[in-house]
Amino acid sequence: MPIELSHDLKVKHSRDAQSRQDFISSLRGFILNDMAAGMRARFDDEVEPAFERQHGRAPKTQDEVHAAMRRDPYFKFYSSVRYNAQEMVWRSVIPGVQADLPELSSKVDQLSQTGGGSLTLDSSLAVPENVAGLDVHLMPGGYANVGHPGAGAVYDNGLAVFSAGFMGPDLNDIGLSMSNYVKHRFPDFTPERILDCGCTVGHNAAAWAQTYPDAEVHGVDVSASVLIYAHGRAQSLGLPVHYHQMDATDLTFPDNSFDVVFTSMFLHELSVKDIKRFFAQAHRVLRPGGLLINMELPPNRELKPYDQFYLDWDCYYNKEPYYRAFRDQNPEDLIQAGGFRSEDFIQFTVPQYSFTPVDAFNAAVNAPPSFDGDTGRLSASLSWFGFGGWKAKS
Amino acid sequence: MPDSSPNTDPLPVDAAGRRPAFFAPDGVDQILTMVLELATELWVLRERVFVIEAVAAEHGLPLKSGVESYALTDAQRAELAAMRAEMMNQLFRTLNQDHRPVGG
Repeated sequence: MPIELSHDLKVKHSRDAQSRQDFISSLRGFILNDMAAGMRARFDDEVEPAFERQHGRAPKTQDEVHAAMRRDPYFKFYSSVRYNAQEMVWRSVIPGVQADLPELSSKVDQLSQTGGGSLTLDSSLAVPENVAGLDVHLMPGGYANVGHPGAGAVYDNGLAVFSAGFMGPDLNDIGLSMSNYVKHRFPDFTPERILDCGCTVGHNAAAWAQTYPDAEVHGVDVSASVLIYAHGRAQSLGLPVHYHQMDATDLTFPDNSFDVVFTSMFLHELSVKDIKRFFAQAHRVLRPGGLLINMELPPNRELKPYDQFYLDWDCYYNKEPYYRAFRDQNPEDLIQAGGFRSEDFIQFTVPQYSFTPVDAFNAAVNAPPSFDGDTGRLSASLSWFGFGGWKAKS
Repeated sequence: MPDSSPNTDPLPVDAAGRRPAFFAPDGVDQILTMVLELATELWVLRERVFVIEAVAAEHGLPLKSGVESYALTDAQRAELAAMRAEMMNQLFRTLNQDHRPVGG
């Protein structure tokens, strides 16, 4: 079932649209659990043995798995149904957002007058091609198409359908899981200023504000549309977050001005060159002793060829062209390119904070990272992967 | 178990043997889109009927039995035809990006 958004910007969808969203969300759950399991069994029982008969060995790379699977009817059905479901996610929410747009804009205006957060737009900012020139996630019009909150609303409402409950009741489970990892793993570290880069509608920035209520939380994105929406959304939730239209690879904040720089599901939408530029910026704006923390898909080097292939589906079929190149990198090398030291590298896997008893969460936080086919994969048994590094104190 | 107990094994619903393939694979992707759109709209309708019956029952209207014996008027048939045309456009959206409405 799609989760019910709890903030005031929630769009009132028609009865039929709600039914459509229920169906599509259930379909997504079926694809990601049942069909994914069926496709895996198909690989184990048919495709891999056939590959072994032909080559005298198992597939060694995800490209070999992909090439073999592309000929298999199960993969074709899985992919076609998943692709269609992705289109249908957006189609199920766009008419409601469209009809609600005048009211939505006035609600955002009203909410902007209240609360402790702020919004700073920069109309001179050149929106980079990876956002402006691409309908990422097949979201029609992309994330930066208009000067009103429409793209933000389509994303927020669409994510509620897309996530099929996997991202928690307020779509903020990633932010909650990452911030609570920091809070429980490093109890003496008390960040005063936190920055979320590529924050879109601010669903995870808001989670950091919840976990660290005394901290000042900032979010940046290149899209004015998602930020206008994010600002209203956070105000509505009573969480004071400061949003800025800014390019994470070219931050305008002063040196040494944040204790935490955070991203979620962000790096894999950037070229490797831009990831390195961003890490250099993160290193610059962090105070000595500050922490860079990224929630991401797990690196391919930690996964078996089939699981690499499974996760990289989005790169080939969901308009996320940089996804694979990012996952082929070694995270430890990437942060060093930004100026972090190898000995200050951290990586971890944690269960979902929203659905895990606190004792089990604490145990996982202090355990070494463990990678398997459920790491970073939306499923009933998923865990999140995170990595980053401390900025040296001297 | 006595010999006289009825056999309740599930009845087969598919004929044995291979099914013939009439079409080349061309167009299967579009057909899947149609199937999924259709399945979604079927669900939307089933949910609406469920809600309608529930609301009616709460107001003392025995809709389930009333629907069985209902006869459509000509005007109602025309209204339904227009609704069907709109549904067709949705269903076959992948075949023609700049389609005109059916009958338009």
